[in-house]
Amino acid sequence: MKQIVVACGSGVATSQTVASKVNRLLKENNVPAEVLAVDIKSVDRYIAGSVAYIAITKVDKEYPIPVINGIAFLTGVGQDAEFKKLVDAVNNG
Amino acid sequence: MSILQDVINWLLGLGAAIFVPIIIIIAGLIVGMKLKDAVSAGITLGVAFTGMSMLISFMSSAIGPAAEAMLKSTGINLPIVDGGWTTLSAIAWSWPYAFLMFPLMIGINIIMLIINKTKTFNADLWNVWGKIFTGVAVAAVCKPYFGTAGSIGIAFVTAGIQIIFELKMADMYQYRIEKLSGIPGVTCTHKMGFTSIFMFPIDCLLKKIPALNKRFDAAVLKDKIGIFAESHVLGFILGIIFGVLARYDVAKTLTLGIQASCSLTLFPVISKYFMMALEPISSAISAFMNKKFDDRTLVVGLDWPFMGGANEIWLAVFLCIPVTLIYSMILPGNDILPFAGIVNNAIAVAAFLVTGGNIIRMCILVILFAPAYLWVGTVMAPFISDLARSTGAVSLKAGELISCSSIDGPIQTYAFSHLFKILDGNFLPLVLCVIFVVCFVALYKYLGKEEKEGREIN
Repeated sequence: MKQIVVACGSGVATSQTVASKVNRLLKENNVPAEVLAVDIKSVDRYIAGSVAYIAITKVDKEYPIPVINGIAFLTGVGQDAEFKKLVDAVNNG
Repeated sequence: MSILQDVINWLLGLGAAIFVPIIIIIAGLIVGMKLKDAVSAGITLGVAFTGMSMLISFMSSAIGPAAEAMLKSTGINLPIVDGGWTTLSAIAWSWPYAFLMFPLMIGINIIMLIINKTKTFNADLWNVWGKIFTGVAVAAVCKPYFGTAGSIGIAFVTAGIQIIFELKMADMYQYRIEKLSGIPGVTCTHKMGFTSIFMFPIDCLLKKIPALNKRFDAAVLKDKIGIFAESHVLGFILGIIFGVLARYDVAKTLTLGIQASCSLTLFPVISKYFMMALEPISSAISAFMNKKFDDRTLVVGLDWPFMGGANEIWLAVFLCIPVTLIYSMILPGNDILPFAGIVNNAIAVAAFLVTGGNIIRMCILVILFAPAYLWVGTVMAPFISDLARSTGAVSLKAGELISCSSIDGPIQTYAFSHLFKILDGNFLPLVLCVIFVVCFVALYKYLGKEEKEGREIN
């Protein structure tokens, strides 16, 4: 099982909403990965163990793993494209 | 009729960990979930309630005695335990009428969209609890004057008014939020933004001072001090401070440090189960709304964290931690010992919105407005504790009080919920309501002009 990380202010509300939704999509599509919701203040600690980072904020920093647009999963706009990017990241990671 | 009443009372008597899951299973089936998924969501919610209750008992048994010892050693009397927003949301969800807030919020949103009074579709269905919380407060305040049924009616009307203001606020800030966050098509519907309405006149005065309009790079500082705001480290530091103030010996102080750290670390872990349980329902509703307004470009209302890329917000949050702690010791009328609610994103986001991300003015506003959070947390404690006790959402000992030191939009929540205190001769809530509406209109116009002129946000 590969790990994907998503972060918000407390690791509770927004990030867990995205995590639950993406986990459901992953399960439906038989993708062997799981999304972990964490506190944005400690996200750097989880990057090393993950194959992708679903960002809810605009990201200025460079990360060694693919960064996926998390807003798409909240609004539904462009969700399919972002999910495909995520699946690719899982397969390549 | 009386049989139905008996059945409902029996269900409520089972406690929040049983009756709220039953409601969510029914709600899940209504929105078209499979039976096994709905049952799974219901049980997850029961787990969330029971887990929160366990954790809050653990936290109060660690912090409570320290607060008592602090009273003896320093004379500082802070008897209200601070459970943070996660505790507050658990208690709000346990209100027997909580789930009715979903149809109210969606109904108002649909009507406002149809009559073109808003461009925002509020997809933040988790923060329905913010409306529920206002409702709980209204019901508690109004009950002595209007009885149970009357007070619940007023609770939903007040929550409805709050929902309208939330949508209008989301509309007016949308342009500025897009400029600041760089994310198009979204805005923030969270009631934490209401504090910015009260900050607006003061910010206008601050803007007149040229020295306060400087830019300042917040990124470096944030990376340096960020570790102190991570739950486990912050909890440990707070535990040590409380231990020292309580004149505990070294062993006891260190133990309190780890216990406090444990509480703060586990709160988000357990609160996640609330989200897991509610996400399928909110997703189903979102999908329904998207389909309904397929032909229109709507702005989507979200919770605040998509703005969390702004370093200014985090610096203001960090500043607010020591500020709140110091205020709690010296502020007359404060009875709350800041703990689980001490990371006050609500105040920082409000200051961020109204100043457009000017860190110096944000810091000044944080220092000026932090007392409101402590006072409102104190005022709200008795009925938060009563509801927790009556629904069994949180197990509290007799006389024990629980609240939150960072209630979102405290001034508005207090003003809206305590309005009818006027019948007891308390005019403050009415005055605050008037200030709220006047400043809201002024800010609405100001932001409208900003958008029309396509101004850059400094």
